[in-house]
Amino acid sequence: MLERFKSMLLAGAASMLMFTAGAAQAGTITVYTALEEDEIADYVALAKKDIPDVTVNVLRLSTGDLGARIMAEAGNPQHDVIWGWAVTNMMDPRILALVEPYKVKGSDKLGAAYQAADSKWFAATGYIGAFCVNTERLKQKNLPMPKSWNDLLNPAFKGEIAMPNPVSSGTGYLQIVSILQKMGEEKGWAFLKQLDGNVNQYIKSGSRPCRSARAGEFTVGTSLAFAAIKSIEEGFPLAMVLPSEGAGYELEASALMAASKNKADAKKFLDWTMSPGASGLYAKYKELVTLPGYKPAKAARDAGMPDDPGSILYKMDFAASAVQREAILARWTKEIGR
Amino acid sequence: MTAVSAVAPRVTPLARERADRIFDLACLWIPAAALLLFFVYPIGMMGYRSLLLPDGSLGFGNFSQIIGSRSFLRALVNSLTMGLATTAVTVALGLLLAFALHRCRLWLRIVLLGAISLPVIAPSLVQGLGLIFLLGRNGLINKTFGLQVEIYGFWGLLIANSLYALPQAAMIIGAALRNADARLFEAAEVMGATGWRRFIDLTLPNIRFGLLSATFVVFTVTITDFGNAAVIGGDYTVLAIEIYNQVIGQMNLNLGAVVGMLLLLPTVLAFYFERLATQRQFGTQSEAAVPYRPGHDPWRDGIIGTLAWLVALAPVTVVGVVVYASFMRLWPYRLDFTLRHYDIKLAGGYDPLWISIGISAAAAGFGTIFLLFLGVALKRLGGPAARAIYFVSMLPAAVPGLVLGLAYVFAFNQPGTPLILLYGSAALLAMCNFYHYHTQGFATMTTGLRQIPPALEEAATCIGASAWAVLRDVYIPYTLPTLISVFFFLFMSSMVTLSAVIFLVTPNLMLAAVTVMRLDEGGYTAQAAAFSTAIMLVVTAALLLARGTLWLAQRRIRLSAEA
Repeated sequence: MLERFKSMLLAGAASMLMFTAGAAQAGTITVYTALEEDEIADYVALAKKDIPDVTVNVLRLSTGDLGARIMAEAGNPQHDVIWGWAVTNMMDPRILALVEPYKVKGSDKLGAAYQAADSKWFAATGYIGAFCVNTERLKQKNLPMPKSWNDLLNPAFKGEIAMPNPVSSGTGYLQIVSILQKMGEEKGWAFLKQLDGNVNQYIKSGSRPCRSARAGEFTVGTSLAFAAIKSIEEGFPLAMVLPSEGAGYELEASALMAASKNKADAKKFLDWTMSPGASGLYAKYKELVTLPGYKPAKAARDAGMPDDPGSILYKMDFAASAVQREAILARWTKEIGR
Repeated sequence: MTAVSAVAPRVTPLARERADRIFDLACLWIPAAALLLFFVYPIGMMGYRSLLLPDGSLGFGNFSQIIGSRSFLRALVNSLTMGLATTAVTVALGLLLAFALHRCRLWLRIVLLGAISLPVIAPSLVQGLGLIFLLGRNGLINKTFGLQVEIYGFWGLLIANSLYALPQAAMIIGAALRNADARLFEAAEVMGATGWRRFIDLTLPNIRFGLLSATFVVFTVTITDFGNAAVIGGDYTVLAIEIYNQVIGQMNLNLGAVVGMLLLLPTVLAFYFERLATQRQFGTQSEAAVPYRPGHDPWRDGIIGTLAWLVALAPVTVVGVVVYASFMRLWPYRLDFTLRHYDIKLAGGYDPLWISIGISAAAAGFGTIFLLFLGVALKRLGGPAARAIYFVSMLPAAVPGLVLGLAYVFAFNQPGTPLILLYGSAALLAMCNFYHYHTQGFATMTTGLRQIPPALEEAATCIGASAWAVLRDVYIPYTLPTLISVFFFLFMSSMVTLSAVIFLVTPNLMLAAVTVMRLDEGGYTAQAAAFSTAIMLVVTAALLLARGTLWLAQRRIRLSAEA
């Protein structure tokens, strides 16, 4: 009886060992990214061709999930590189403490706004905030097509707007901070409070307001351009609106982890992300490529993105938005939060 | 199989007693040690983080910051209200369903069981999507009847939480209803007690333990649920959302840990009340019990059966509409049949599905064996240690998945210790998934084990059967249906659980539930629905295969016994 029990235990222990993880291999790097799902597959295929001696393992999670994961693992990071992650998160001092300055190849061609002065991060791409307007519901409710944030104050939109919750979503924070920076503290808060009267729901993620709008749950979802572009491509009755006051945007920043055990290959990969080959591919998907001379992707232009997205962007102060985050969210929770 | 076959006459009574003692202790301490390592230790790390202040010192600063905030108080009130409302609805309906399944003669009983289990095998996205497709502002009901029903908020969340908790309540109450003494019912009938009186005076007291366990579990899983609250809860903020806001929204892991720790309190309280209520002994089984087989009763079967099928209609429509939409070109605008959403290449394609099956089978296999050992040991041994282990065993449900996942990172991503070997491994994912659902499995197991007549094991021991033989010849055969339902529950839950594993998946170890989330986030809602349908199909096939094998095995045993 005991013999049988012992052998059961041994078998259990053996199978546990078989289950355990393999150690890191040379020539292999782990990359954490929040870039969009369909892009990654294409990028990684090109990276394989351009830098064949580096095996790139990619973990994709949303901006928020990835932030929590990186912070949780901060004591013993499991990744070598952060690739394409919201710069507002990257500029958090707790994250900056984990990354190491690296002057990436090609950074001399990159504008000063797209890289850290101390070389801790650089951004090859970015994404833009936009309204997703369900044209079918718009017609059915007999509403005018909104062109600006201001148009959303129209009482006719009461209950028809979904916004991302800034407390849970980086996109949500991006939206309110762009309004506050644009209009100034006092007017900005007054505007947000007035807008709140028309907002039906503050949704937990940044792209879900667009998905809800395209499903016809709401007329307007204040969300992201890429979500609108993709939905239009798929055939949903949706229009992308870039608010005429200037659209908020976010840069997708990359950085080298100070704890990386394979910095040589990590740097090789980071150099590759700024290579002309990679940027050429970004231009197939992205509405915002930071190297000069790239137009937004065709699908983006078809959805209404101008050839020079810089012309419609509100010039964000990312350093300020990272520093003020806690205070702004506290005030939002107190005065508007539900 | 009888206890007599287990007699081993060569062993002296004293040696037997010692061997039994060792066996009992092993039964207790092996699962208990695993419980310590894979639950208590990570939660301890979480407790430590909740006290860790930004400047690196320890103190209650985080707690006062959270408790003092307006949003926390509102979320607390909302969570408790939601917990109580869901518990009331779910336990009542769970009793109805369990009664229909175990005390009535129903046509297509197994289909009913499958129908109410749907929310457990469906990724959480499915339930949210299904409810919105049906009851949303642009949902089928509103559109068909020209209504303006608002699903987002309290009522939507109540429906979603009830749907999700219902199979768990029915499983636990079912374990209590499964074994009853037919003689009592016959006696009552002879004395002229009506069906209703028999239910009130015989059935209810007998299953009180199961009912209380179900109440505890439903309340706990409701106040810790995040998935439903995020999709269908609208602006109705609950505590799990507060954790999400802190951890995912603002990377304040330690403040999230505080809310996680505070969430343990209502559960500890609920546990205390449950214990208080089960202190008094009642309704134990007699050794001469004759298994109760529901007889013909057209009134009972007709009414209960109809009600049960009506309840089961809810999960079937909610899941069904998502499955249907996964075959539509562009829900809800272009309803032409297509298979294109099933051509999934992104987010790992279908590979994670097979990884999930392996990990879930391991979680369920290990889990069921551990729970059986633990349940048997706690039944045979008493004392303060056993009571403490019982308490800890009931606690995991009080920990939201997000918190458990974080806790696992803190606990196992420890360089320089042997634990780091586990980090990033499939074994750790399996353990995480098992301990996430430990409470439900444990509650079902102990409820099932309670139904074994104590005299039966006493008799087996008296004639010299070893503890191992008692386990093999009394406990296992007697609780086989419970073991199976625990195994299936762990397997199904592990297939679809999401919030904990987000912290543990790696580039080479992607899970099906995470793929569904990634597809949905990427805007591929239809593909996410299709992938979910594939998961449900595979799980259903696995269940049918297991059921079929079991049925064949039982038939062979029966045939050989008759021969």
